[in-house]
Amino acid sequence: MHRPMSFVRPLLILALATAGTACDSSTASPPKSAKTSPAASATAPAAPAPGQSFGAGVKLTETTPVATLLADPKAHVGKTVRVEGQVVDVCPKRGCWMDLAGDAPGQKVRFKVTDGEMVFPVDAKGKHAVVEGVVAVNELTLEETREYVAYQQKEYGAEKDPASVTEPMVIVRIDGTGAQLRDRK
Amino acid sequence: MKWRRWIRAIHRDVGYVAVALILAYSLSGLAVNHIEDWNPSYTFETRAFDLGPVPGATGGEQAAFVIDRLRLDPREVRGHFQESETELRVFLPEGQEARLDVRTGKGKLKSIHKRPVLFEVNALHLNNLKGVWTYVADVFAVALVFLAISGMIMMKGDRGFLGRGKWFVGAGLLVPVGFVVYMYQ
Repeated sequence: MHRPMSFVRPLLILALATAGTACDSSTASPPKSAKTSPAASATAPAAPAPGQSFGAGVKLTETTPVATLLADPKAHVGKTVRVEGQVVDVCPKRGCWMDLAGDAPGQKVRFKVTDGEMVFPVDAKGKHAVVEGVVAVNELTLEETREYVAYQQKEYGAEKDPASVTEPMVIVRIDGTGAQLRDRK
Repeated sequence: MKWRRWIRAIHRDVGYVAVALILAYSLSGLAVNHIEDWNPSYTFETRAFDLGPVPGATGGEQAAFVIDRLRLDPREVRGHFQESETELRVFLPEGQEARLDVRTGKGKLKSIHKRPVLFEVNALHLNNLKGVWTYVADVFAVALVFLAISGMIMMKGDRGFLGRGKWFVGAGLLVPVGFVVYMYQ
Protein backbone atom coordinates (compact mmCIF):
# COMPACT_ATOMS: atom_id res chain seq x y z
CA MET A 1 0.00 0.00 0.00
CA HIS A 2 1.26 3.45 -0.88
CA ARG A 3 1.83 5.54 2.23
CA PRO A 4 1.83 9.31 1.75
CA MET A 5 4.47 9.77 4.44
CA SER A 6 7.53 10.80 2.49
CA PHE A 7 6.95 14.46 3.36
CA VAL A 8 6.99 13.89 7.11
CA ARG A 9 10.75 13.81 7.64
CA PRO A 10 11.46 17.03 5.68
CA LEU A 11 8.59 18.73 7.54
CA LEU A 12 10.00 17.75 10.91
CA ILE A 13 13.46 18.93 9.94
CA LEU A 14 11.98 22.22 8.74
CA ALA A 15 10.02 22.64 11.97
CA LEU A 16 13.07 21.97 14.13
CA ALA A 17 15.17 24.36 12.07
CA THR A 18 12.48 27.05 12.36
CA ALA A 19 12.23 26.50 16.10
CA GLY A 20 15.97 26.91 16.42
CA THR A 21 15.87 30.12 14.43
CA ALA A 22 12.95 31.41 16.48
CA CYS A 23 14.84 30.80 19.70
CA ASP A 24 17.86 32.60 18.31
CA SER A 25 15.84 35.58 17.17
CA SER A 26 13.92 35.79 20.44
CA THR A 27 17.11 36.26 22.34
CA ALA A 28 18.71 38.52 19.78
CA SER A 29 15.81 40.79 18.88
CA PRO A 30 12.85 41.30 21.18
CA PRO A 31 9.29 41.56 19.86
CA LYS A 32 8.07 44.79 18.29
CA SER A 33 5.70 45.68 21.08
CA ALA A 34 8.41 45.61 23.69
CA LYS A 35 11.64 46.59 22.05
CA THR A 36 14.38 46.60 24.59
CA SER A 37 17.35 48.73 23.86
CA PRO A 38 20.83 47.38 24.45
CA ALA A 39 21.39 47.31 28.19
CA ALA A 40 22.25 50.77 29.39
CA SER A 41 25.61 50.90 31.02
CA ALA A 42 25.52 51.49 34.72
CA THR A 43 28.68 53.55 34.37
CA ALA A 44 27.10 56.00 31.95
CA PRO A 45 24.04 57.38 33.76
CA ALA A 46 24.03 60.62 31.75
CA ALA A 47 22.59 58.91 28.67
CA PRO A 48 18.84 58.32 29.13
CA ALA A 49 17.94 54.71 28.45
CA PRO A 50 15.44 54.46 25.54
CA GLY A 51 13.76 51.59 27.38
CA GLN A 52 10.84 49.54 26.08
CA SER A 53 8.78 50.98 23.26
CA PHE A 54 5.06 50.28 22.83
CA GLY A 55 2.69 50.94 19.95
CA ALA A 56 3.74 53.72 17.60
CA GLY A 57 6.30 54.99 20.09
CA VAL A 58 6.71 58.62 21.10
CA LYS A 59 7.34 61.17 18.36
CA LEU A 60 6.64 64.50 20.04
CA THR A 61 9.60 66.16 21.70
CA GLU A 62 7.85 68.71 23.91
CA THR A 63 6.45 67.37 27.16
CA THR A 64 3.24 68.65 28.69
CA PRO A 65 3.55 68.40 32.48
CA VAL A 66 0.81 66.43 34.21
CA ALA A 67 0.09 69.48 36.37
CA THR A 68 -0.49 71.67 33.29
CA LEU A 69 -2.78 69.08 31.77
CA LEU A 70 -4.82 68.72 34.94
CA ALA A 71 -4.95 72.45 35.60
CA ASP A 72 -6.94 73.07 32.43
CA PRO A 73 -7.84 69.76 30.81
CA LYS A 74 -10.50 71.21 28.51
CA ALA A 75 -7.87 73.32 26.78
CA HIS A 76 -6.11 70.11 25.74
CA VAL A 77 -9.10 68.02 24.63
CA GLY A 78 -8.51 66.43 21.24
CA LYS A 79 -4.88 67.48 21.17
CA THR A 80 -2.02 65.02 20.92
CA VAL A 81 0.34 65.45 23.84
CA ARG A 82 3.49 63.89 25.20
CA VAL A 83 3.42 63.33 28.94
CA GLU A 84 6.06 61.94 31.28
CA GLY A 85 5.82 60.62 34.77
CA GLN A 86 6.36 57.81 37.21
CA VAL A 87 4.05 54.85 36.67
CA VAL A 88 2.00 54.50 39.85
CA ASP A 89 -0.57 51.95 38.69
CA VAL A 90 -1.00 49.49 35.83
CA CYS A 91 -4.15 47.64 34.77
CA PRO A 92 -3.62 44.35 36.60
CA LYS A 93 -5.81 42.31 34.28
CA ARG A 94 -5.19 43.41 30.73
CA GLY A 95 -2.26 45.81 31.02
CA CYS A 96 -4.37 48.29 29.06
CA TRP A 97 -3.74 51.42 31.12
CA MET A 98 -1.14 53.10 33.27
CA ASP A 99 -1.51 55.96 35.73
CA LEU A 100 1.28 58.52 35.53
CA ALA A 101 2.08 60.70 38.51
CA GLY A 102 2.52 64.44 38.53
CA ASP A 103 4.59 66.35 41.06
CA ALA A 104 1.89 67.10 43.62
CA PRO A 105 0.40 64.51 46.00
CA GLY A 106 -2.39 62.53 44.38
CA GLN A 107 -1.81 64.14 41.01
CA LYS A 108 -2.05 61.54 38.27
CA VAL A 109 -3.40 61.01 34.79
CA ARG A 110 -4.53 57.81 33.11
CA PHE A 111 -2.96 56.64 29.87
CA LYS A 112 -5.41 54.24 28.21
CA VAL A 113 -5.01 52.04 25.17
CA THR A 114 -7.33 49.65 23.36
CA ASP A 115 -7.22 46.22 25.02
CA GLY A 116 -4.49 44.11 23.47
CA GLU A 117 -3.09 46.89 21.29
CA MET A 118 -0.34 47.51 23.80
CA VAL A 119 0.12 45.45 26.94
CA PHE A 120 1.94 47.16 29.80
CA PRO A 121 3.61 44.84 32.29
CA VAL A 122 2.13 44.93 35.77
CA ASP A 123 5.64 45.19 37.21
CA ALA A 124 6.12 48.58 35.48
CA LYS A 125 5.03 50.32 38.69
CA GLY A 126 7.71 52.77 39.78
CA LYS A 127 9.25 53.00 36.32
CA HIS A 128 9.35 56.19 34.30
CA ALA A 129 6.95 56.40 31.36
CA VAL A 130 6.96 58.72 28.39
CA VAL A 131 3.64 58.51 26.58
CA GLU A 132 1.90 60.08 23.64
CA GLY A 133 -1.80 60.26 22.91
CA VAL A 134 -4.93 62.32 22.52
CA VAL A 135 -6.45 64.02 25.54
CA ALA A 136 -10.03 63.18 26.47
CA VAL A 137 -12.07 64.58 29.35
CA ASN A 138 -15.09 62.95 30.91
CA GLU A 139 -17.13 64.98 33.38
CA LEU A 140 -19.05 62.61 35.64
CA THR A 141 -22.09 63.31 37.76
CA LEU A 142 -21.92 62.47 41.47
CA GLU A 143 -23.82 59.24 40.85
CA GLU A 144 -21.54 58.30 37.95
CA THR A 145 -18.53 59.09 40.11
CA ARG A 146 -19.72 56.70 42.81
CA GLU A 147 -20.33 54.03 40.20
CA TYR A 148 -16.87 54.64 38.75
CA VAL A 149 -15.21 54.39 42.17
CA ALA A 150 -17.20 51.24 42.94
CA TYR A 151 -16.06 49.74 39.64
CA GLN A 152 -12.42 50.62 40.38
CA GLN A 153 -12.78 49.03 43.80
CA LYS A 154 -14.36 45.84 42.47
CA GLU A 155 -12.27 45.47 39.35
CA TYR A 156 -8.85 46.66 40.51
CA GLY A 157 -9.00 46.53 44.29
CA ALA A 158 -8.80 50.31 44.64
CA GLU A 159 -9.08 51.27 48.29
CA LYS A 160 -11.30 54.32 47.96
CA ASP A 161 -14.79 53.73 49.33
CA PRO A 162 -17.60 54.81 46.96
CA ALA A 163 -19.60 55.93 49.99
CA SER A 164 -16.90 58.48 50.80
CA VAL A 165 -17.36 60.25 47.45
CA THR A 166 -19.01 63.64 47.93
CA GLU A 167 -18.02 65.48 44.76
CA PRO A 168 -18.28 64.59 41.09
CA MET A 169 -15.07 63.70 39.29
CA VAL A 170 -13.59 64.93 36.09
CA ILE A 171 -11.62 62.13 34.48
CA VAL A 172 -8.73 63.24 32.33
CA ARG A 173 -7.45 60.51 30.10
CA ILE A 174 -4.86 60.19 27.40
CA ASP A 175 -5.98 57.84 24.65
CA GLY A 176 -2.63 56.33 23.85
CA THR A 177 -0.90 55.87 20.55
CA GLY A 178 2.55 55.02 21.86
CA ALA A 179 4.67 54.79 24.97
CA GLN A 180 8.13 54.17 26.31
CA LEU A 181 8.99 52.64 29.66
CA ARG A 182 12.33 53.44 31.26
CA ASP A 183 13.97 52.30 34.45
CA ARG A 184 14.79 55.89 35.28
CA LYS A 185 13.88 59.36 34.03
CA MET B 1 -11.09 8.04 -3.63
CA LYS B 2 -7.37 8.61 -3.17
CA TRP B 3 -7.73 12.28 -2.21
CA ARG B 4 -9.51 11.34 1.00
CA ARG B 5 -6.56 9.20 2.02
CA TRP B 6 -4.28 12.20 1.50
CA ILE B 7 -6.62 14.49 3.40
CA ARG B 8 -6.66 12.06 6.32
CA ALA B 9 -2.87 11.77 6.34
CA ILE B 10 -2.34 15.53 6.19
CA HIS B 11 -5.11 16.13 8.77
CA ARG B 12 -3.43 13.66 11.11
CA ASP B 13 0.05 15.18 10.76
CA VAL B 14 -1.05 18.81 10.86
CA GLY B 15 -3.00 17.78 13.95
CA TYR B 16 0.15 16.41 15.56
CA VAL B 17 1.99 19.67 14.87
CA ALA B 18 -0.91 21.70 16.21
CA VAL B 19 -1.34 19.70 19.44
CA ALA B 20 0.94 21.91 21.56
CA LEU B 21 -0.66 25.17 20.50
CA ILE B 22 -4.21 23.81 20.68
CA LEU B 23 -3.56 22.79 24.30
CA ALA B 24 -1.83 26.09 25.11
CA TYR B 25 -4.56 28.21 23.55
CA SER B 26 -7.32 26.12 25.13
CA LEU B 27 -5.74 26.42 28.57
CA SER B 28 -5.35 30.16 28.12
CA GLY B 29 -8.87 30.42 26.72
CA LEU B 30 -10.29 28.86 29.86
CA ALA B 31 -8.19 31.16 32.03
CA VAL B 32 -8.94 34.36 30.15
CA ASN B 33 -12.63 33.51 29.76
CA HIS B 34 -13.02 34.11 33.49
CA ILE B 35 -10.99 37.31 33.64
CA GLU B 36 -13.85 39.02 35.49
CA ASP B 37 -13.39 36.61 38.39
CA TRP B 38 -9.64 36.34 38.67
CA ASN B 39 -6.38 37.52 37.23
CA PRO B 40 -5.30 34.82 34.76
CA SER B 41 -1.64 35.87 34.59
CA TYR B 42 -0.67 37.11 38.06
CA THR B 43 -1.21 36.35 41.72
CA PHE B 44 -1.07 39.07 44.35
CA GLU B 45 0.26 38.71 47.86
CA THR B 46 -0.20 41.21 50.68
CA ARG B 47 1.69 41.41 53.97
CA ALA B 48 0.66 43.88 56.66
CA PHE B 49 3.20 45.89 58.65
CA ASP B 50 3.15 48.50 61.38
CA LEU B 51 6.06 50.93 61.60
CA GLY B 52 4.50 53.46 63.95
CA PRO B 53 4.06 57.12 63.00
CA VAL B 54 6.38 58.05 60.13
CA PRO B 55 8.65 61.05 60.79
CA GLY B 56 9.78 63.43 58.05
CA ALA B 57 8.53 66.64 56.54
CA THR B 58 8.69 65.53 52.93
CA GLY B 59 7.64 62.45 51.02
CA GLY B 60 11.32 61.72 50.35
CA GLU B 61 12.20 61.72 54.06
CA GLN B 62 9.22 59.59 54.88
CA ALA B 63 10.08 57.15 52.08
CA ALA B 64 13.66 56.90 53.39
CA PHE B 65 12.32 56.02 56.85
CA VAL B 66 10.03 53.35 55.39
CA ILE B 67 12.84 51.85 53.32
CA ASP B 68 15.08 51.71 56.39
CA ARG B 69 12.44 50.22 58.69
CA LEU B 70 11.36 47.61 56.16
CA ARG B 71 15.03 46.76 55.60
CA LEU B 72 14.75 47.32 51.87
CA ASP B 73 17.79 47.86 49.69
CA PRO B 74 17.66 51.59 48.78
CA ARG B 75 19.37 50.80 45.47
CA GLU B 76 16.39 48.68 44.51
CA VAL B 77 13.77 51.29 45.32
CA ARG B 78 12.28 52.75 42.14
CA GLY B 79 10.66 55.75 43.74
CA HIS B 80 7.77 56.90 45.86
CA PHE B 81 4.46 58.67 45.41
CA GLN B 82 2.22 60.53 47.79
CA GLU B 83 -1.22 59.20 46.98
CA SER B 84 -2.61 61.80 49.36
CA GLU B 85 -1.32 63.98 52.21
CA THR B 86 -1.44 60.93 54.49
CA GLU B 87 -0.85 57.99 52.18
CA LEU B 88 2.61 57.12 50.90
CA ARG B 89 3.56 54.50 48.32
CA VAL B 90 7.10 53.20 47.83
CA PHE B 91 7.79 51.29 44.63
CA LEU B 92 10.11 48.31 44.49
CA PRO B 93 11.25 46.00 41.67
CA GLU B 94 8.96 43.36 40.16
CA GLY B 95 5.87 45.48 40.81
CA GLN B 96 6.22 45.25 44.59
CA GLU B 97 4.90 48.17 46.57
CA ALA B 98 4.79 49.32 50.18
CA ARG B 99 1.70 51.43 50.85
CA LEU B 100 1.05 53.01 54.21
CA ASP B 101 -0.67 55.69 56.21
CA VAL B 102 2.13 57.96 57.42
CA ARG B 103 0.12 59.04 60.48
CA THR B 104 -0.07 55.52 61.91
CA GLY B 105 2.70 53.72 60.00
CA LYS B 106 0.28 50.90 59.27
CA GLY B 107 0.44 49.58 55.76
CA LYS B 108 0.78 46.69 53.36
CA LEU B 109 3.60 45.27 51.33
CA LYS B 110 2.12 44.07 48.05
CA SER B 111 3.88 41.59 45.79
CA ILE B 112 3.02 40.34 42.33
CA HIS B 113 3.90 36.88 41.05
CA LYS B 114 3.50 35.46 37.58
CA ARG B 115 1.32 32.37 37.41
CA PRO B 116 3.57 29.58 36.14
CA VAL B 117 2.59 28.27 32.69
CA LEU B 118 -0.56 30.42 32.53
CA PHE B 119 1.44 33.65 32.23
CA GLU B 120 3.33 32.22 29.27
CA VAL B 121 0.36 30.65 27.45
CA ASN B 122 -1.68 33.83 27.96
CA ALA B 123 1.14 35.91 26.48
CA LEU B 124 1.10 33.64 23.42
CA HIS B 125 -2.68 33.41 23.14
CA LEU B 126 -3.27 37.15 23.58
CA ASN B 127 -0.36 37.91 21.27
CA ASN B 128 1.34 40.15 23.80
CA LEU B 129 4.58 39.36 22.03
CA LYS B 130 3.46 40.88 18.71
CA GLY B 131 6.19 40.81 16.02
CA VAL B 132 7.00 37.44 14.50
CA TRP B 133 4.59 35.66 16.84
CA THR B 134 1.71 37.33 14.97
CA TYR B 135 2.66 35.36 11.85
CA VAL B 136 3.11 32.12 13.78
CA ALA B 137 -0.39 32.62 15.22
CA ASP B 138 -1.72 33.36 11.72
CA VAL B 139 -0.28 30.08 10.44
CA PHE B 140 -1.84 28.31 13.42
CA ALA B 141 -5.23 29.87 12.65
CA VAL B 142 -4.98 28.73 9.02
CA ALA B 143 -4.02 25.26 10.26
CA LEU B 144 -7.14 25.19 12.44
CA VAL B 145 -9.28 26.15 9.44
CA PHE B 146 -7.68 23.31 7.50
CA LEU B 147 -8.23 20.87 10.37
CA ALA B 148 -11.90 21.88 10.59
CA ILE B 149 -12.59 21.55 6.89
CA SER B 150 -10.49 18.45 6.34
CA GLY B 151 -12.04 16.83 9.42
CA MET B 152 -15.45 17.46 7.93
CA ILE B 153 -14.75 15.90 4.57
CA MET B 154 -12.20 13.18 5.24
CA MET B 155 -14.78 10.43 5.80
CA LYS B 156 -17.35 9.21 3.33
CA GLY B 157 -20.51 7.19 3.57
CA ASP B 158 -22.72 7.06 6.64
CA ARG B 159 -20.01 8.49 8.87
CA GLY B 160 -19.11 11.22 6.40
CA PHE B 161 -20.41 14.76 6.14
CA LEU B 162 -23.23 13.69 3.85
CA GLY B 163 -24.16 10.97 6.32
CA ARG B 164 -24.56 11.80 9.99
CA GLY B 165 -21.81 14.43 9.79
CA LYS B 166 -24.12 17.16 8.53
CA TRP B 167 -26.29 16.84 11.63
CA PHE B 168 -23.35 17.19 13.98
CA VAL B 169 -22.02 20.17 12.01
CA GLY B 170 -25.47 21.73 12.08
CA ALA B 171 -25.78 21.18 15.83
CA GLY B 172 -22.38 22.81 16.35
CA LEU B 173 -23.45 25.74 14.20
CA LEU B 174 -26.75 26.21 16.02
CA VAL B 175 -25.09 26.99 19.35
CA PRO B 176 -23.16 30.11 18.28
CA VAL B 177 -25.93 31.19 15.89
CA GLY B 178 -28.42 30.94 18.75
CA PHE B 179 -26.26 33.19 20.93
CA VAL B 180 -25.76 35.70 18.12
CA VAL B 181 -29.53 35.88 17.58
CA TYR B 182 -29.96 36.35 21.34
CA MET B 183 -27.30 39.08 21.29
CA TYR B 184 -29.25 41.15 18.76
CA GLN B 185 -32.61 40.74 20.44
